[in-house]
Amino acid sequence: MAEGGGPPEPIARLIEAFHRLPGVGPKSAQRLAYHVLRVPEQEAAALATAILDVKHRIILCATCLNITETDPCGYCSDSRRDASLICVVEQALDILSIERTGAFKGRYHVLHGILNPMEGIGPDDIRVRELLTRVQVGGVAEIIMATNPSLEGEATSMYISRLIGPLGVRVTRLARGLPSGADLEYTDDLTLARALEGRQAV
Amino acid sequence: MAERPRVYRAEGIVLRRRNIGEADSIFTVFSDEIGKFEGIAKGVRKARSHMRGHLEPLTHSRMLLARGRSLDVFTQAETVQSFRGLRDDLDRTAAGLACAELVDRFTAIHVEQPGLFALLSAVLEAIAAGAPLHLVRFFELHLLTMTGYELHLDGCALCGARLPEAETLLSADAGGLVCLACRGQAGGGRILSVRGVKVVRYARTATPGQFAALTISSGLAHELEAAMRDLVRHFLEREPHMGRYIDDLARLPAAHPSENGDEAVQ
Repeated sequence: MAEGGGPPEPIARLIEAFHRLPGVGPKSAQRLAYHVLRVPEQEAAALATAILDVKHRIILCATCLNITETDPCGYCSDSRRDASLICVVEQALDILSIERTGAFKGRYHVLHGILNPMEGIGPDDIRVRELLTRVQVGGVAEIIMATNPSLEGEATSMYISRLIGPLGVRVTRLARGLPSGADLEYTDDLTLARALEGRQAV
Repeated sequence: MAERPRVYRAEGIVLRRRNIGEADSIFTVFSDEIGKFEGIAKGVRKARSHMRGHLEPLTHSRMLLARGRSLDVFTQAETVQSFRGLRDDLDRTAAGLACAELVDRFTAIHVEQPGLFALLSAVLEAIAAGAPLHLVRFFELHLLTMTGYELHLDGCALCGARLPEAETLLSADAGGLVCLACRGQAGGGRILSVRGVKVVRYARTATPGQFAALTISSGLAHELEAAMRDLVRHFLEREPHMGRYIDDLARLPAAHPSENGDEAVQ
């Protein structure tokens, strides 16, 4: 036992490290640290190696800014994907969601954030300039904005539309309306109005 | 002493959202009855959350909250007004957020601010309906008055002398317009044109609709914007975030008709 009744120093450091992770409170951090203490050494080593590998082997694709092990990333180097179609997402995780649909065969651009001016996050804080440069190079026919349908997401879409629109590239965004399984009773007026506008023949 | 009810109703305009954890958000809301308050909505970022669209920033909603240990918890929300026109245009969104940020920064939690909710609601409604964006100056001027920073505009703020109809210094340090003789003691400020002085004075007594109906040249709009930003920065002792963002937008190419993306894709 360390002086003062606290845990030994290595465990205290591990608790502190877990506590810094998003969504992990002090009790969860303690539980995780004592769990690591109990698991076989190989399992602990695998965890440590996995963490280090993420830091050592993952880079950003120079073209789309997706996280990748190789540059260009798999999406940018795949010649079967349509290079004239760029889907713009807020974070690399969003690519996985879009890929799961199997409905998109173009390429991506990761903004690594979203405009949130109230919190001081402006255009210079996200990767918009890289997108502009990509469009200026040529060969892009359409930008599909796949930001969240929130005030911030909409503002980001409109900002990029105004920035890139004059270059003659079509800027579109994902349709807005009701999610599957939604309940009309609880739907807000704005979503319902947009769903009505985007209605389709049955 | 009667125990406070565990659940209570509130109605207000959502000023701000901060995301925490995997799917929760903390919302700052401004209401007429209890002033500014904060609460957490659990799971609100999930696609199937019932409250998601009702708690978007710049939405006027009715809410039900349960008292929590540190933060109260939103349990229900229903839109009263979504100010849709604010969301379909980049500049209008920015104007609405600028008003929301000022309310957030100039008010304290759970302090009633009589008249401010009605002012915010009226200005957001007008901007959403297409009113010119110089209405934000009207909002700023009235917000300052309501929060204790009323400007002295009828005579010199330092010596009380009557002001001639001429270019006049508007000084934050002095708390209003300053005559030529007192300029040296005013501690800086911004010179307002004759028309600028008239517009600022008119704003005090006009309704939002009357002020929005004013024809203001782009030069005068810039002059008033710069003057009000000076005042706001002085009283807040910092630059609001939205100021920098509005400058960013001003550098963009002009808006084009399909900006809101509602054009159908064939």
